[in-house]
Amino acid sequence: MGTMLSLQKVTKIYPGAGHIKAVNELSFDLEEGEICTVVGPSGCGKTTAMKMINRLISITSGKIIIDGKDISRLNTIELRRSIGYVIQNIGLFPNMTIGENIAIIPKLLKWDKAKIDEKVQRLLEIVNLDPDEFRDRYPKELSGGQQQRIGVARAMAGDPPIMLMDEPFGAIDPINRDHLQNEFLKVQEKVKKTIIFVTHDINEAIKMGNKICLLKDGHLVQFASPEEILTHPKNDFVADFVGGDRTLKRLNLFTIKRAMKDNPPTIHQDETIETAQNMFAKINSRYLIAVDGEGVLTGIIDKQGITDKVTHVKDVVSPTEAWLIAHASLKDGLSEIFTHDYGFLVVVDDTKKVLGWLHTEDIKETLKG
Amino acid sequence: MTLRIWFQLVKKLVPLFLTILFISWLYNYYGAWDYTIKNIPEFFRLIVEHFTLVIISMVCAVLVGVTLGTMMTRKSMENASSTIMTVVNVWQSIPSLAVLALAYGFLPLIGLSGIGMTPALIALFLHAVAPIVRNTYSGIDAVSKDVIEAATGMGMTKRQILFQIELPNALPVIAGGVRTATAIIVGTAPLAFLIGGGGLGFWIFTGIDLVDTGIMIAGAVPVALIAMLFDFCLARSEKFFISRGVQTIEVETV
Repeated sequence: MGTMLSLQKVTKIYPGAGHIKAVNELSFDLEEGEICTVVGPSGCGKTTAMKMINRLISITSGKIIIDGKDISRLNTIELRRSIGYVIQNIGLFPNMTIGENIAIIPKLLKWDKAKIDEKVQRLLEIVNLDPDEFRDRYPKELSGGQQQRIGVARAMAGDPPIMLMDEPFGAIDPINRDHLQNEFLKVQEKVKKTIIFVTHDINEAIKMGNKICLLKDGHLVQFASPEEILTHPKNDFVADFVGGDRTLKRLNLFTIKRAMKDNPPTIHQDETIETAQNMFAKINSRYLIAVDGEGVLTGIIDKQGITDKVTHVKDVVSPTEAWLIAHASLKDGLSEIFTHDYGFLVVVDDTKKVLGWLHTEDIKETLKG
Repeated sequence: MTLRIWFQLVKKLVPLFLTILFISWLYNYYGAWDYTIKNIPEFFRLIVEHFTLVIISMVCAVLVGVTLGTMMTRKSMENASSTIMTVVNVWQSIPSLAVLALAYGFLPLIGLSGIGMTPALIALFLHAVAPIVRNTYSGIDAVSKDVIEAATGMGMTKRQILFQIELPNALPVIAGGVRTATAIIVGTAPLAFLIGGGGLGFWIFTGIDLVDTGIMIAGAVPVALIAMLFDFCLARSEKFFISRGVQTIEVETV
């Protein structure tokens, strides 16, 4: 993995009054396969910075290097064909079918027809739209979310190593946006593109980026990983911009698996109540986690619910909703803990097998680092 | 389902049938049929002349109109385009008959004959080109800026954007201009006879002059049928040429 994209003292001055520097000596390097979210208040130059990469806006001074090549030496049209481009308002071509929209760059690159068809098919599958259903439909027949998925698929069609995305999910309602973001991250895991992702939403920047590039008035304020920006904001501006709840935002960056404690107090549901009592005596907990023979969660036993008449564990097990899958975020975990009365959460894998348990203290420890 | 299709068909066919019935009755009643049969060679000559007038002026108007309208949308023409639009709008407001008269009066001043097929063609063309220029310009201008930005950012050349994106998306609007132009040409062509341009107007005006309704109808009915034929062909070709993705309203065809 080497440096894929490098900005070196890139500056843009728009001609006209004041000679204001829209982008001022912006420098950063991006590794192959990384998503860099460019974020900042409106007018900070983030879109200008992005559009200089595919030369929709000319550079006043400085250099942009893609894969070792200075882009000012490349042919503009060829450069753009090697960079995927997704814009907020999508801009699908209304006169073309979905299939034709996706095929446009491969056609310009003169791929043969069989290869193009296969590519269209695969991309539609990647963005979760049934190829047979959607290939021959027109953009106006699709919802906003579906259209943006096509926008992303179209941008990836020419196999560009780099993609530029200008607030791609900005015009989509919050519920669908969240869904599309997750979906896109899954796609990215497979395709590993180097991505410049412009957004004005700090939450989106934290969620989507491996690196965050925070701009203000054309200056680079901080370029760091989301974790770094949230724990060590460089100055008051960054701290303000990420918000007073930045510690809570960090919860999004960790999975439950990372914070949970292993070896939770589990007990087979067919055991006798004496075994349970012994366990309660050994550990300092009011609850035990009941499992079946495969280790799959069946419920929780409350020490105070055990009466003299009870002989077996399974008579006192109460089914529970207080569990989450290990790859869920800590934020969801914390919320789940507060939803239930136990003060902890059972952590399970995809088959609901118990892996561990999670207390608020564990979360605190993780955030401390 | 099938019942509804039949109903639709009947709804379309009945008015058409009644119109044809009415025209045929009129045609027969005034003896236009007999007159046409008696003068069949002249009838064919007039038909050919009429089609020549309509088709040549139409083709020229489309070619020039679309080219000019497209050129006006290019960045380098930004200043000239508003001037051209003004001229086009003023020009279109002049009544057809006046355009013919103006051609008759003006062409001799630049050394051309004011009488005959040529001035008629020039007048028809000049009048019909206006709506095509206007619609081509506004049609291309109306193509979403986002679509153009996406196309540019993806690495399409200006020429590719024009032919693959701008023109196909502007086509419904351009087609509207072509329809208006056809209506103007088909409506004005019979008047071409007045400046010696020939065509079926010859029989209409002769009939009026001789107070012979038969001759008049013998000219008028084919003129009406030709108008219907052109309208039908245009609607058909619109369905064929305009992408389903940009067809806004269902184009009615008989």
